[in-house]
Amino acid sequence: MNLHAQRGAEPPGAQDTAELLRELAPQVLGALVRRYGQFGACEDAVQEAILEAVATWPDRGLPQSPKGWLITVASRRLIDEVRSEHARRRREQDHAASAAPLEHPQDAGLDRDDSLALLFLCCHPSLPGPSQIALTLRAVGGLSTAQIAAAFLVPAATMAQRISRAKQAIAASGARFEMPGPAERAARLRIVLHVLYLIFNEGYTATAGTTLTAPELSGEAIRLTRWLHRLLPEDPEVTGLLALMLLTDARRAARTGEDGSLIPLDEQDRGKWDRDGIAEGVTMISAVLPAGPPGPYQVQAAIAAVHDEAESVDTTDWPQILGLYQLLEQLAPGPMVSLNRAVAVAMVGGPAAGLDLLRELESDRRLASHHRLHATRAHLLEMSGDLPGAEASYREAARRTASLPERRYLTGRAARLAGPQEGSGRL
Amino acid sequence: MKYLLMIYGNTEKWQSMRAEAWAEAIAKQEAFNARYTETGELLGAYGLADAARARLVRRVNGLPAVTDGPYLETKEYLASFWLLDCDSEKRAQQIAADMPFADAEPVELWPVLHESTGDQ
Repeated sequence: MNLHAQRGAEPPGAQDTAELLRELAPQVLGALVRRYGQFGACEDAVQEAILEAVATWPDRGLPQSPKGWLITVASRRLIDEVRSEHARRRREQDHAASAAPLEHPQDAGLDRDDSLALLFLCCHPSLPGPSQIALTLRAVGGLSTAQIAAAFLVPAATMAQRISRAKQAIAASGARFEMPGPAERAARLRIVLHVLYLIFNEGYTATAGTTLTAPELSGEAIRLTRWLHRLLPEDPEVTGLLALMLLTDARRAARTGEDGSLIPLDEQDRGKWDRDGIAEGVTMISAVLPAGPPGPYQVQAAIAAVHDEAESVDTTDWPQILGLYQLLEQLAPGPMVSLNRAVAVAMVGGPAAGLDLLRELESDRRLASHHRLHATRAHLLEMSGDLPGAEASYREAARRTASLPERRYLTGRAARLAGPQEGSGRL
Repeated sequence: MKYLLMIYGNTEKWQSMRAEAWAEAIAKQEAFNARYTETGELLGAYGLADAARARLVRRVNGLPAVTDGPYLETKEYLASFWLLDCDSEKRAQQIAADMPFADAEPVELWPVLHESTGDQ
């Protein structure tokens, strides 16, 4: 890890360059947009400056001020672009080009506001979810369109189109590069957190099918959320989301088998959990919870912390988890929360109590066809000793999921219950 | 989330279409393809060649053994498919319903399995 620590005048390694560039990308873009407006054109110019840096820095060494270099190069690119597109405005642009080079801001407060304004713009409510995600990864995360396309397994041309359309939509919406007012800010921040949460979830997958060129999305989500946490250290939900990600990601090594198969929480080798990640997440969530009343991310982080601190499923503090799910169901009701509560009810009061609750939940149309309802029922039936019933429910759940690792897991579970004579050779 | 849209047909059905209607049908379909390429939701649109060009392939002694068939002239078979990547199943349903012929013939909509386990 410290191979490149003595960077100094030495040319930086490609890895170092990439990390530094991605750290600087939102600051550079923020400075440009504040100066010139035109988010879409500035974003393209920053990407070009980054490409130039990737091509030249490893050979020539780091510029004295990497950020200043990027701002200067990106400004030139932007001005070239504006010139070629709007010849009639050439004189004005000549004026801009001859103006003093843009000094990179030393003011950390300005950087902070620019970065936040940028994030709010990328997660603008007028954009559909996939576009918010793509734009955030590119403009704030500093990833290239090709990298984002690889991470989401779509063609680069499709991703380029999505990003370009998102920029047009932002321009058309009249959204401004500024911090939303206090009234709007909480709602906008909720969208930002949701986008980061979706990026994390997308990356929290089995290892099969990932490619070397695709960036690892949960790591990227954690990096961006850490960055947001530095910008907004006092916001308890930002802290809650970061803690939730750390506490969830800490189980990664235990969550999949060598063949990429899913291993559920109750069967994971807890010795493989990342103790440092757990300690950091627990410290974080413990610091904000007492300030209460908590938001949904804090409650989810608290639940993850209770799981992560338990030696085994049996020593898990299930009454506390049940209480937290009851709270979460009031704060952020949804099918997954209700189903998780049913599991907690079963762990506290026995499988029959959990199954009773599931029967109530089945009357909810959103839930009735959800694969997780069947998977939860299967799990509780297995707990209660009704193995044929459990097998049938696992198979029903497997039929209804669109997730490949989940389908394999559920089918495998059903096959195991069906016994050796029937269970072999069906995966 | 990725989804596959599929439409079916057979030679008899297509031959019953009047020549002048074809141009309009193609234009409508191309407009649909352009619309959802532009939104960044359509990953690809593919029409299959006529069933006369379809072959059955097996491996025999490690080599491909190719035979004519399947013989589908009268049955309806897969004619074209579209791969989408969009926000939700509801959105995929909206796009499917926007297919030029969806008012006359159903479009099959299939979720594509994904690697993510999603809502963990």
